[in-house]
Amino acid sequence: MTPHVGRSPEFSFACRLAGGLHARPASCLAEVVSTFASDCVLTNHRNRATANLKSVLAIIAADVRQGDDCCVRVVGPDEESAQVALRRFIDHDLPLCDESPVEIAAPNTQALPRALRQTGVSCYFGTAVSRGIGQGVVVVTGGLALPRGLEAENGQDSSREQEKLGRAIAAVRGRIEAVLARQTSAVEAAILRAHLAIVGDISLINDINARLGNGRSVGQAIVEAGESFTNMLRRSDSLYVRERALDMQEICLQLLEQVYGARFQPLTVELHAPTVVVAETLAPQQLLALNRRWVKALVLENAGLTSHTVILARSLGIPTLVGVKDAPHSLPTGQEIIVDANRGCVVAQAPASVRRFYEREAEAARRRQEFVSRYAQAAAVTGDGRNLEVAANVSSPGELAAAFERGADGIGLFRTEMLFVGRDGVPSEEKQFEVYEQAARAAAGRPVLIRTLDIGGDKPLPYLNLPREVNPFLGYRGVRLYADHEDLMREQFRAIVRASAFGRVYMLLPMVSSLEEVRWAKAMLARVQAELAAENVAFDRAMPLGVMVEVPAVTFILEQLCSEVEFFSIGTNDLAQYVFAADRTNSKVTALADVLHPGFLRLLKQIVDTIHQGGKWVGICGEMASEIRYLPLLLGMGLDEISAPASEIPALKERVSRLSNANCNELLSRALSCRDSEEVKDLLQRNLPVDKAWPLLDRELVILESESESKEEAIRELVNACYVAGRTDDVEAMEDALWARESLYSTGFGHGFAVPHCKTSAAVAGSLAVMKLKKPIDWGAVDGQPSSFVILLALRENASESTHMKVFSQLARKLMDEEFRKDLKVSTNADSLLQFLAGELNIGSH
Amino acid sequence: MRIVALTACPTGIAHTYMAAEQLDKTAKALGHQIKVETQGAMGIENELSESDISQAEVAIFAADIEIEKQERFTKIKIVRVPVQEAIKNPRGVFAKL
Repeated sequence: MTPHVGRSPEFSFACRLAGGLHARPASCLAEVVSTFASDCVLTNHRNRATANLKSVLAIIAADVRQGDDCCVRVVGPDEESAQVALRRFIDHDLPLCDESPVEIAAPNTQALPRALRQTGVSCYFGTAVSRGIGQGVVVVTGGLALPRGLEAENGQDSSREQEKLGRAIAAVRGRIEAVLARQTSAVEAAILRAHLAIVGDISLINDINARLGNGRSVGQAIVEAGESFTNMLRRSDSLYVRERALDMQEICLQLLEQVYGARFQPLTVELHAPTVVVAETLAPQQLLALNRRWVKALVLENAGLTSHTVILARSLGIPTLVGVKDAPHSLPTGQEIIVDANRGCVVAQAPASVRRFYEREAEAARRRQEFVSRYAQAAAVTGDGRNLEVAANVSSPGELAAAFERGADGIGLFRTEMLFVGRDGVPSEEKQFEVYEQAARAAAGRPVLIRTLDIGGDKPLPYLNLPREVNPFLGYRGVRLYADHEDLMREQFRAIVRASAFGRVYMLLPMVSSLEEVRWAKAMLARVQAELAAENVAFDRAMPLGVMVEVPAVTFILEQLCSEVEFFSIGTNDLAQYVFAADRTNSKVTALADVLHPGFLRLLKQIVDTIHQGGKWVGICGEMASEIRYLPLLLGMGLDEISAPASEIPALKERVSRLSNANCNELLSRALSCRDSEEVKDLLQRNLPVDKAWPLLDRELVILESESESKEEAIRELVNACYVAGRTDDVEAMEDALWARESLYSTGFGHGFAVPHCKTSAAVAGSLAVMKLKKPIDWGAVDGQPSSFVILLALRENASESTHMKVFSQLARKLMDEEFRKDLKVSTNADSLLQFLAGELNIGSH
Repeated sequence: MRIVALTACPTGIAHTYMAAEQLDKTAKALGHQIKVETQGAMGIENELSESDISQAEVAIFAADIEIEKQERFTKIKIVRVPVQEAIKNPRGVFAKL
């Protein structure tokens, strides 16, 4: 912002915020102005919109964008000091309030599945904004149009109406605050806070009051004011602002509900069965009020990628489509529909074949979960015997049970920030102790790495009065603020040390860049331990202390740190951000922070090696650890542990068991000599260092009595079997490769046999799947006969697959032998079939 | 009859070997002498040498793709059939010779 010197009482400035004066800067601005008695009015010269600067809503509605020239007029008893403060704020602080509007990358909308195309069924298209597939009965919610039935209500005297309004506002505010106090998700909290700002917005309240003064009833006044504001927001050119109209309506509905009680139609819809919620618009709080157990999908006519409802749906994992034209009318209540938010379509009145397709997809997903869950509770050991601990990242005690159910070998990162945010003051030592103790107990002997407070910078705590910063990520955060907040940290240290009596607690320091910070922490730890000993409180004297490796400087003092601490955890998100000097919240540069960059891989390798030379333990807890494709690199690095979101653990453990540690080491050394990340990506795609022990034949890949009714279904079923058994990470690519081959000429070679095959990097390992069909199906075979026996041959696109290829060529030759075909056809038992094949082809099986 | 044959299909995973097997089996059943080269995913196997070719009366190409080292076959009669033909009706292929 550049304020131009103007004559009192006006001054002007040009907006330099890339995102304009949207919600966050608007609320910062309103906060400052509200501390003065003077009236401050902003005029946007571009669209001639004016706004009371005490009103966030009015500022948003003025739609001030980058480059807009604005004028501010300050009139009132304290106009001079107000103008000075306001100018200073606009000049120095406002630019810091900028944030890029939340952008959600729409998932790739893939072509319709063959099963769907084949039936020619019509479907409705939309933009998939939260992936997944959901099926249920349509419940249409009424949108958010304000009811007009209350117009006849007479206004009583305006002061009584104002009282009613005051009570309603207080009640709505109280209700949101109550929900806010319960919420653990940062996404939900941000949305609720935005609602709190609206409910207390001065323009809204003034507008309603003015209408009460004109003899309106409180209900009429709310309806009229609400309509006027939502229309104002809707007229904006900015999609972001238009979407705030929804939040506005939501608040007005809640106020009306408070005023009229039971006479007002309740907002919540009761659900009792699997449901697809269809609406023109759905407000975030309406979504929160629905019984999540039954909400299988959302279909919205109007909602953008940045709408709070969509952000919320994503965080709740609800498959969601937006932009489905006329959804509430074309998808009437009570109808069973399928929402495919992987491909961006809604199928109503799905024919049996399409319903079958989705049922079979759901079955495959279920079987995949079941398959990987077999690996969850065992240690993750590579084919050649190397153990890798696979731990979970958690942010709240509520996630612990699920983490251990999914096979976490420990908690590799227990974030403690959630205890501190969204409240008015520091949580007490007792409150913290309860949480840490709960974690230690739940882990039942497994390690729990509790990270001390990592707050500040981009994650401010109002009650700490931290200064606003130009570069929050390079600022006052993590361990850097401990020495200035000794009491706060003493309490957290005490709570953690006390919890160490109840399990294997490890204490992890964030953002360490120097020995001094570690020494401060060790001194505090010693002090706290001495205090607790004097108080006769039990604790584990040997509780290990460790540091996060995320500041580049620390990677060059690891040798020294090894003699100070017991363990290390690499935070790849921050480390990459600092190593590449690329702000990960800035979409223009975030791609630079590429963890596959050979320079970054070399750094990681050096970190791990140095720590191991110092005889200490090192894990990794960034996003890099949850990416299954990177697992070979992480194993090759020699990391002792990886820590990922709990949901990823079973699949990670399964994959570890497939890999060869020796081959991972070799792959890593090749990756380290790559010139750029493209080469590394290519290397990873071409070479999965699978252990030799992963056989071609697999019990999971034998399907007897298949119910498939068409070639499409049969191929999909075979590919899904490969997916279930972890033999492909990309079902669509493998399916496409098979169909590409079928398109040349049918692989039905006659005698009731078909051999669909492909050579693709989508195959994780060479695989041979066998399927016997209950009913023969048309495969377009060369002899015109239907096929009842299908053998899928999938070869990994890699020159070194000659052993598998030898087997395939041998099998192909044998298939020309009538006796061999007869033997295959008569076997009715998977094990004997596998045994027969293994014997004939001279190979082992699973 | 002394015959040389060569099989090659698009992916080189299955049909190349099926066709080779059929030509091999059928030739023997018909009393011919045959050597079949495969050009598949494993590259060239059972490669036909200059003398194999010069001693043969005819070459069968059961190929759906461009074959490698074609220059070996300049002096011999070539019968070309689709791979599927060799798999489905190998006797018919020999009837064409």
